[in-house]
Amino acid sequence: MSFLNNYIYYIGAFGLILIGLYIVLVKHNLIKVIVGLGVLDTGVNLFLISVGYITKGTAPIFSRSGIDPELMVDPVPQALVLTAIVIGVAVLALALSLAIRLYQHYGTLNLRKIREQRW
Amino acid sequence: MRRIVAILLLIIVAVGISLSLAKIPFGVPKTKVGRHYINEGVEETGAVNIVTSVVVSYRGFDTLGEVTVLFIAAIGLGAVLTAGGKEKTGKTEPASLILSTGCRILFPLILVFGTYVFIHGHLTPGGGFQGGAIIASGFLLIYLGCRERRISQKASKLTESLGGLVFVIIGLLGLVSGGYFLLNFLPKGTANTLFSAGIIPIIYIAIGFKVGSELAGIIDNLIEES
Amino acid sequence: MVNPVLLIAVPLGLVFAIPLFALFWKDAAKYIPPAALGFNLVVSLLLLPKVLENPVIVSIGGWQPPFCINLVAGPVGVLFSAIIALVGLLVSIYALNYIKEGATEKYHMLYLLLLTGATGVVLTGDIFNLFVFFEILCISSYALVAYLREKSGIESAVKYLIQGAVGSSLLLIGIGLLYGQFGTLNMADIAEKITSVSPVSLFVPMVLLITGLGVEAAIFPLNAWLPDAHSSAPSSISAILSGIAIEVGLYAVARIIFTIFGASSIFLFLAFLGILTLLIGEMCAFSQNNIKRMLAYSSIGQIGLILFALAIATSYGVTGGLFQLVSHTLSKALLFLAAGYMIYQTGSMEISALEGMGKKMPLTCLAFTVGAFSLVGLPPFIGFPSKFLIVRAALATKETFLFAALGLALLGTVIEGAYFFRVVQVLYFKADMPNPGKKEAPVTALIPMFIFVVLIVVVGIYPKLVTDVLNSAAIELLNRLDYIRSVLG
Repeated sequence: MSFLNNYIYYIGAFGLILIGLYIVLVKHNLIKVIVGLGVLDTGVNLFLISVGYITKGTAPIFSRSGIDPELMVDPVPQALVLTAIVIGVAVLALALSLAIRLYQHYGTLNLRKIREQRW
Repeated sequence: MRRIVAILLLIIVAVGISLSLAKIPFGVPKTKVGRHYINEGVEETGAVNIVTSVVVSYRGFDTLGEVTVLFIAAIGLGAVLTAGGKEKTGKTEPASLILSTGCRILFPLILVFGTYVFIHGHLTPGGGFQGGAIIASGFLLIYLGCRERRISQKASKLTESLGGLVFVIIGLLGLVSGGYFLLNFLPKGTANTLFSAGIIPIIYIAIGFKVGSELAGIIDNLIEES
Repeated sequence: MVNPVLLIAVPLGLVFAIPLFALFWKDAAKYIPPAALGFNLVVSLLLLPKVLENPVIVSIGGWQPPFCINLVAGPVGVLFSAIIALVGLLVSIYALNYIKEGATEKYHMLYLLLLTGATGVVLTGDIFNLFVFFEILCISSYALVAYLREKSGIESAVKYLIQGAVGSSLLLIGIGLLYGQFGTLNMADIAEKITSVSPVSLFVPMVLLITGLGVEAAIFPLNAWLPDAHSSAPSSISAILSGIAIEVGLYAVARIIFTIFGASSIFLFLAFLGILTLLIGEMCAFSQNNIKRMLAYSSIGQIGLILFALAIATSYGVTGGLFQLVSHTLSKALLFLAAGYMIYQTGSMEISALEGMGKKMPLTCLAFTVGAFSLVGLPPFIGFPSKFLIVRAALATKETFLFAALGLALLGTVIEGAYFFRVVQVLYFKADMPNPGKKEAPVTALIPMFIFVVLIVVVGIYPKLVTDVLNSAAIELLNRLDYIRSVLG
């Protein structure tokens, strides 16, 4: 049980990553694929943060004097995730705009029918 | 068929990653770089929020790249979506009185809260990106509540450009004055006060305005199109 | 001495300032990319002699590595940024008159941002910074592929975006695993600590990193997006994508394998992948009727050849690979630029529609022919010494697998020659129509093409001009310990 307690964040993050990958690989509707990309991004960010966690740690902010620096979590993954979230948002925004245009051109969002470029 | 291949691929990925995760124990302090930032961060940068000092000062180049990525998304969206002469099909019906009044009351409060978050980025959790997102959600509320109002495209573009330009110019000023790009060349003041930490609050203010106007511009483009 | 940070900071500042300039001067957006890229070219050429011996390490923010992000301006980095600046400058001059419809201001901003991202990737010394600049490169290219807003462009952009986004997420997982194991993000620091861990636990991060970067570098089987994307983009963007974006992706793969991991066990597999990519690319190109699709598949083939050369992993091999990379950049950009105006004249991308263009647009077709012959590897063009160097490198290793692979590579070259000669034949020898009037491409397009032709011929005749730089670059890539020492002191 303590194994589960320790690794629940990793399991959750990788569960999200695997679900996201499955959606992107298998689904036909473009909006579902974009949602899958979002889930994949969330899973990766969750994984990055949980790499930096220290048991019973607190946020790395010295808001009062006398806070023990030994008990603070690692600040670097949090900075990485900040950047990664923004990049994920940018990709999703661009994907949605392309989906709007694609619908205007083809009238459908089914990726199996949007295959004009063959070979 | 495709599902089976996908599931096989995912099982391989899962096995591979769990094998390598066994090397990264959870909850154990691992890094010397992180320790250095926590121990020396307040003295070296003057910001009490160590995550802010990492984001803006130690790894400021990444933040510059991130700001650029958001800029690219806003421009790309504008390039793909601006139709040129396509009228809106169908009229949207006006919102009810309660909704529009409520939105109008909440909007300045949200703006003030967002501004508070990005101005105090070096003292409390938060910062430029978070504050900018809050401001953009205020604009989204106005779009959903009072449906006929729009922000001026030109103003939002100018704010975006100015925000980015201020960031790069501060970096170049650091290069000119100290020989390092993004050097913290303003005095660091006393920790835990508003006017401390050198260039960090200035950069975060620029980022806050930029991100707010950028996200509001993206939302505007998407709503115009539908 | 000029600070290499200016190579990234100045174009970035100019891009942010374009909307402000556009308030006063409507056409500002067209002229700023050439100005910024000209500046970059001058700075890179000034830096190049100084970095051949010792790389210049620039720390950002005034902290010491590994507690900060640092740029490593070594021979590889400065050589690549000079090439990016040169090709970008010439293509931006071409685009002055080529891009007329759509939101042109946004095109130029995205274009300069793409090249800034590419320059950042080749100069950085920190793995997360590599990811951020790599994303700048990728996202600008997604937006630029969709720039014309036509059916084919949007469809290609969507497929490219989905594959690229999955690749980036895999790259980020790999970076997370590396950080969890080593606690640092600095490339030199990771390279130093790698030797203390067993190779088995490094296998998964390395595979994830190569897969994530390989989507952009167009290694088989991750390159399904390339034919659609490169053929549906506007021709100036196809030139940049084929000439710069995939090469920068391949540079990132090479940097990861040589400098960070030093993984000698994977070289054979990479050589195999390279040959596979080469053969598949050339065979698919042979069966194409659409000229831009044919050029796109040819890019896949050439990337396979460069990967094979890099995977030989001797000093000859890496020099040959880098030389082939430079040769491909110059030749493929020239081919796409020439094809752009030919397509504009005839209105169609089919090869059969280009009959007799040799008489109608003589200078453009001459440029196309020079590019084609250079890519195939005929003397006196630049393709010849680069391919010769790769052959010599493979023969010098005395490994039978590499001999067999070399035979397949030469087979690929023969196929390449076949389809390019077919196009040249259509251009010049099928003129059964009466002499139409000459309608040449405008001057702004002819000047860049002419400069490319001159470079191809000059370096082809005197390869000594560049082989010294390429040799230093190869030594820097292969020599991990020197890299670690110069960054960490």
